[in-house]
Amino acid sequence: MKHLLWIPLLAVPFVVHDNVVLTILVFTFIAGILAVSFNLVFGFTGQLSLFHAAAFGLSAYATYLSMIHLGISFWLGMIVGVLFVTLISVVIGAICFRFNLRELYFAIVTLAFSELIRLVILNWNSFTNGSLGINFTLTPTLWVPGRGVIPVTGTLMWYYLSLVAVALAVFGYSRIVHSWMGRCFASIRLNDELADTLGIDVFRYKLVSFVAGNIGAAIAGSLYSFYISYIDPNYFSLDQSLAIIAMALLGGREFVAAPIVGALVLTALPHVINVNAEARLLIYGLILILTILLMPRGIVGLLARQRRAA
Amino acid sequence: MLLEVRNLTKRFGGLTAVSDMSFALDEGDIVGIFGPNGSGKTTLLNLISGVYEPTAGQLVWQGRELAGCKPHRIAEAGIVKTFQNPQLFGELSVHDNIAIAGHLRLKRQAGWRRIATLFPLRGKASADLEPRIDHILRLCRLEAFRDAPAASLSYGGEKMLGVAMALMCEPRLLLLDEPGSGLGHDEIRNLDEVLRDLRAHGTTLCVIDHRVGFLGKLADRAIVIHHGAKIAEGPPDDVLRDHAVIEAYLGRSHA
Repeated sequence: MKHLLWIPLLAVPFVVHDNVVLTILVFTFIAGILAVSFNLVFGFTGQLSLFHAAAFGLSAYATYLSMIHLGISFWLGMIVGVLFVTLISVVIGAICFRFNLRELYFAIVTLAFSELIRLVILNWNSFTNGSLGINFTLTPTLWVPGRGVIPVTGTLMWYYLSLVAVALAVFGYSRIVHSWMGRCFASIRLNDELADTLGIDVFRYKLVSFVAGNIGAAIAGSLYSFYISYIDPNYFSLDQSLAIIAMALLGGREFVAAPIVGALVLTALPHVINVNAEARLLIYGLILILTILLMPRGIVGLLARQRRAA
Repeated sequence: MLLEVRNLTKRFGGLTAVSDMSFALDEGDIVGIFGPNGSGKTTLLNLISGVYEPTAGQLVWQGRELAGCKPHRIAEAGIVKTFQNPQLFGELSVHDNIAIAGHLRLKRQAGWRRIATLFPLRGKASADLEPRIDHILRLCRLEAFRDAPAASLSYGGEKMLGVAMALMCEPRLLLLDEPGSGLGHDEIRNLDEVLRDLRAHGTTLCVIDHRVGFLGKLADRAIVIHHGAKIAEGPPDDVLRDHAVIEAYLGRSHA
């Protein structure tokens, strides 16, 4: 039943011709991948990672730089980004989980690692162009039946590309969450000492969750940077991490796809009420507070409960 | 010999909770561990199950040294413990609690092949857990609460679920920490049946209990500890008449 919800999204461009609306949806889908993958680590495994924005940014840089320096296509560049993020995540995750960092300690240490990476990117001028970032014109290419290999340009093509990407992300993470592995994650979230005595390798499954979540962030990072054709160290900022948390909380932590709803609200909001960047942060903060106070289970959690009650 | 405990010692700062403890368990034994409050019974089980790391001494499990291993390794080797105060995944259903405990069963059955089940079109690895879960639900008389959240169970139900989860791990040695405490008469009888069923299937049991009566009937052998040290070991009837044991439980004047 839930899968049918995707069908109207395929039809949206036939009904809505407003470029602004479609653009908001492209950003929503890409941010949705980011939020859904974050929620694997946060909502399902119970680990508040502040490394997610860093995985997003690292992959954006790795994709672009590998394309430039190795002369490879976007899709191979994305694979480089994903592999690079996987490697870094294994190292950082192994350090955090080996020292058994929990809750806020884990959050702080992952934040410190992302700041570390941000500072490297910021100061490695010759390679990353520092704080100015890089504007580029490269685009992904796709093979389209009847038209051969064409560059992905224009809102419409990006709409379908990002829609397919977010649908695949939801599908993939659902498979994990509803499997024996998802049960291991849940056991760690709810009572990791008990999980340990039941034979579940808590270290291993925390690491698997952290890496699997960051891979989603890496894919989102590659797509996002090529959609806006720009990378800069702001990808790594704490604001990004906070926005991701806000999306997951707002949408709801208990359902795989729910953070996309949060992504939609927070992506559309600046367009609905026209505010500057500082005021936007204020609004994020307020939304976060109000969500936690009024609907701790998020929008989707609230709707699900009302439907059950009805 | 299944498990040999050699000179096991645990010190917390200046306090010696378990001191130079040695005993052995054979396949199929049912051993009761008795002792007054604070005598070190729970600490002993926590040492065997890896929750605490021993300060000194050895745990030899089928010829392999286990002291210092993590709890999940020890569980995988076949030693599983229940908790005195039930530890559960409260917001999950009774069924899901037992399914989580099926992790080791799945791992033993499928090994790395269980990774493949994450991919589409490869079926569900958890499917073959279901008959086993149903069997355990029936055995522990929890069928009626199958889909209820674990947190909604009565205290007795929670303790039974703790035992059910331990059974799902298919241990060769099951350590039970006061499984009977706080249970009503019927629940005790039910527990007794479950433990006898386990014995019939060859599971080795090591049970702590306050209630000498309940355990005394079940156990083949009793070990009495006091102030962290073993003071007696032998057939329950003999041991519980031992002078030192009566003194430990009731004080010098009764001895």
